[in-house]
Amino acid sequence: MKVSSIQLLVAVWVGLLVLLALTTGSAYVPLGIGNTLINLAIATFKVALIAVAFMHLNRSDAVVRLAAGAAILFLSFLAFLSFGDFLTRPREPAPWTVPQEGAAGGGPYEPSGEAVR
Amino acid sequence: MSAPAEHFESAERQHQAAELGMWVFLATELMFFGPLFLGYAYGRWSFSEGFAAASRHTDVVIGTINTAVLLTSSLFVALGARAVKLDRGAAARVLLLCAAGLGAVFLVLKGLEYHDEWREHLVPWLDFRFARPHQHAAAMFYFLYFGMTGLHAVHLTIGIAVMVVFAVRLGSGPVARLENQIDMGALYWHFVDGIWVFLYPILYLVERHG
Amino acid sequence: MNALPAEQSLPGKVLHEESYLREGFTLRSWLLTRDHKRIALLYMISITGFFFLGGAAASIIRLELLTPAGDVVDAETYNKLFTAHGVIMVWFFLIPSIPATLGNFLIPLMIGAREVAFPRLNLASWYIYTLGGIFVVITLIAGGVDTGWTFYTPFSTLFSNSNVVLAVMGVFIVGFSSILTGLNFIVTVHRLRAPGMTWFRLPLFVWANYATSLILVLATPVLAMTLSLVAFERLTHIGIFDPALGGDPLLFQHLFWFYSHPAVYIMVLPAMGVASEIIPCFARKQVFGYRMMAYAILGIAIIGFLVWGHHMFVSGQSMYASIAFSLLSFLVAIPSAIKVFNWTATLYKGSISVSGPMLYALGFVGLFTIGGLTGLFLAATALDVHLTDTYFVVAHFHYIMVGGTVMAYLGGLHFWWPKIVGRLYPENLARIAAVTIFIGFNLTFFPQYLLGAWGMPRRYHEYAPQFQLLNEFSSTGAAILGIGYLLPLGYLTWAMLRGARAPSNPWGATGLEWETPSPPPKENFAVIPRVVRGPYDYHPSGASAPSGASAEPQA
Repeated sequence: MKVSSIQLLVAVWVGLLVLLALTTGSAYVPLGIGNTLINLAIATFKVALIAVAFMHLNRSDAVVRLAAGAAILFLSFLAFLSFGDFLTRPREPAPWTVPQEGAAGGGPYEPSGEAVR
Repeated sequence: MSAPAEHFESAERQHQAAELGMWVFLATELMFFGPLFLGYAYGRWSFSEGFAAASRHTDVVIGTINTAVLLTSSLFVALGARAVKLDRGAAARVLLLCAAGLGAVFLVLKGLEYHDEWREHLVPWLDFRFARPHQHAAAMFYFLYFGMTGLHAVHLTIGIAVMVVFAVRLGSGPVARLENQIDMGALYWHFVDGIWVFLYPILYLVERHG
Repeated sequence: MNALPAEQSLPGKVLHEESYLREGFTLRSWLLTRDHKRIALLYMISITGFFFLGGAAASIIRLELLTPAGDVVDAETYNKLFTAHGVIMVWFFLIPSIPATLGNFLIPLMIGAREVAFPRLNLASWYIYTLGGIFVVITLIAGGVDTGWTFYTPFSTLFSNSNVVLAVMGVFIVGFSSILTGLNFIVTVHRLRAPGMTWFRLPLFVWANYATSLILVLATPVLAMTLSLVAFERLTHIGIFDPALGGDPLLFQHLFWFYSHPAVYIMVLPAMGVASEIIPCFARKQVFGYRMMAYAILGIAIIGFLVWGHHMFVSGQSMYASIAFSLLSFLVAIPSAIKVFNWTATLYKGSISVSGPMLYALGFVGLFTIGGLTGLFLAATALDVHLTDTYFVVAHFHYIMVGGTVMAYLGGLHFWWPKIVGRLYPENLARIAAVTIFIGFNLTFFPQYLLGAWGMPRRYHEYAPQFQLLNEFSSTGAAILGIGYLLPLGYLTWAMLRGARAPSNPWGATGLEWETPSPPPKENFAVIPRVVRGPYDYHPSGASAPSGASAEPQA
């Protein structure tokens, strides 16, 4: 039976903490869209490390890896096609819509409080 | 490994079935969180400045510490599952209890965080107040923040309970009979950790430098 | 049959010779069962109850629509009726129908297993279904919900004065029942197939339910979260779906239809699986293009996830997205068409006997084809602008779900009834019922295509007077259809109690389920079979080779 060595598991843990430090640290450096990209890339890499080293995905058979990948694939369908709609639609607020960012807005947010019924 | 359930021809088969079953379940969990991530992406794109302003009010110190706490708990779970495979029941008990303990630490810190946020009027629907002009965007951000971290916390609580039960059961009887279950419990724990790995940057680190 | 080496029969265990129906007669033995066959029957009883409840709502609807005036119920009540009809029929009848009853019963038998992978999870799924059902019944008693089964925002979140939160909670709960069923089937098919039962020796019914299970586990959780968001939004008014607060109602629609379009494939794929079992048997012929049929099933399941925007052509969705979704919707018709061609080719030069199950299966193929073709009409964006929210859409989806799935479900019930209850039903009554249902169905729904094309909107309790004649045909048809449905309820129940005892294989069909007694013993097989041949080994002369199970020890 194959078990990972303690050294490997601890090394992965150290790596995860280093990546955490990296993602947090880089957030304080103004990099525009780069911050988001770096953070997402690091998060993806951390999850991959967890999946392989802790969840042994590399040792599982193909169908298990397919199960892991399927959810990611189908969520990306949801995201891509929905954003395909959002990004290609003109945004024309109706007259009664709260004005977008930057403009003088309405009062401080208050939930309407009253239930519909 | 102990004798398989009646309808499995071997213990190996049963282990494979359990493993596939847990991964399929984790896939459903990811699909369950999915719409919240989509809603976040929509809000982030729609109100990029509002979300950034809101994110800067999250407690990045607690958030970062909590991330480290969870990552460490995953290490303990991985070590504990490994100990079970090596038939070291006592070591496994300690490791799983430590993991559960770290999970509890996470929840306590989260609770303190929620309390502070409530005092700062950042809980939507409970006297939420945020500076103009970002009040609507911030409300949506915090709706997603409490929704996603709350759902995560529910899952973590279940994980803690499961680990405690394992630790108790490891105290009596042969270790091997629990191997399948503990493997599956470990997968669940790592998944919950993985969700947090994504929640942390998207909630705590939006335009921190601003 | 010679006994197999010890590892293939249960060592030291007394195998029950009696049928699974005689394994305990107490309520407890049924309510705490782990036997997939008993759980299938529990589901069957529940979904039949909900079918007639949803049908009762439909009856009042068709009564109202007999005349143009809204004189039977008021507008709000009418809204509650079609909502109840939709919610009940979609989530409490159609989605569980074939998978949870026929699938649960047959899949372990068809793959040569003794049980599903997780028997206790299977029982839990029925209890969760029942809990969801209780919520829906409570919703009805509390006054119903009037948003339509689609719960569109902002009406459901801001303006409706009905029991939205209760209703979505019921659907949320029943969704988990579906997820557990799907999870169980996936693991069962991957891990519990008998020796020699390779993927391409599986009956298409198993393929169909497997693909359905993929959809169940991937799509349903999205619905669960979406409905939770509706409930939260209704309670807190944060504004995620409210344009006045910066939200987007289309965010709801994208999330909702991301589940609900694949959901219609959850409803139709198992029906296709049933048809693929019945047709070869009563044509005494190998299924034409078995591999393509399997690939088409997978293709429908996967492409079905990419087309949801065709429900949103007039919602304000971007034109470019609509074009993409329209094209993808045309694409998904291709594997469906392949299946229709292959069923037809299976019939060609077959030795056809017009039994009850065959009548249902043939009805399925024809009506599904009509429904599917009209789906293409709706997938064409320009046409959809005129046809959307008219009775054309109503006719389209009823042709698929009722003309398709319900007919296939009934066909499957008849085909496997001797296996399930161990008794034969009266074949002539079955034929009469099938024809009655076919006539009643077409009389009900074909006029609705015309009504829709001529502009009659859906979800209205009154209509313009020029539509009355066709509505009268439709309501008359509904009455005939109702009678048609009551017939099998009667004679199948009668057969269960008083029918002639059935042999293992009354139809001379192939498939491992026919090689065990009718009804099967609790453990399904005395000895786990070893499969050496593919499915559908029929010969037009009438003789059929057994499915290839043999008692030879493994080499």
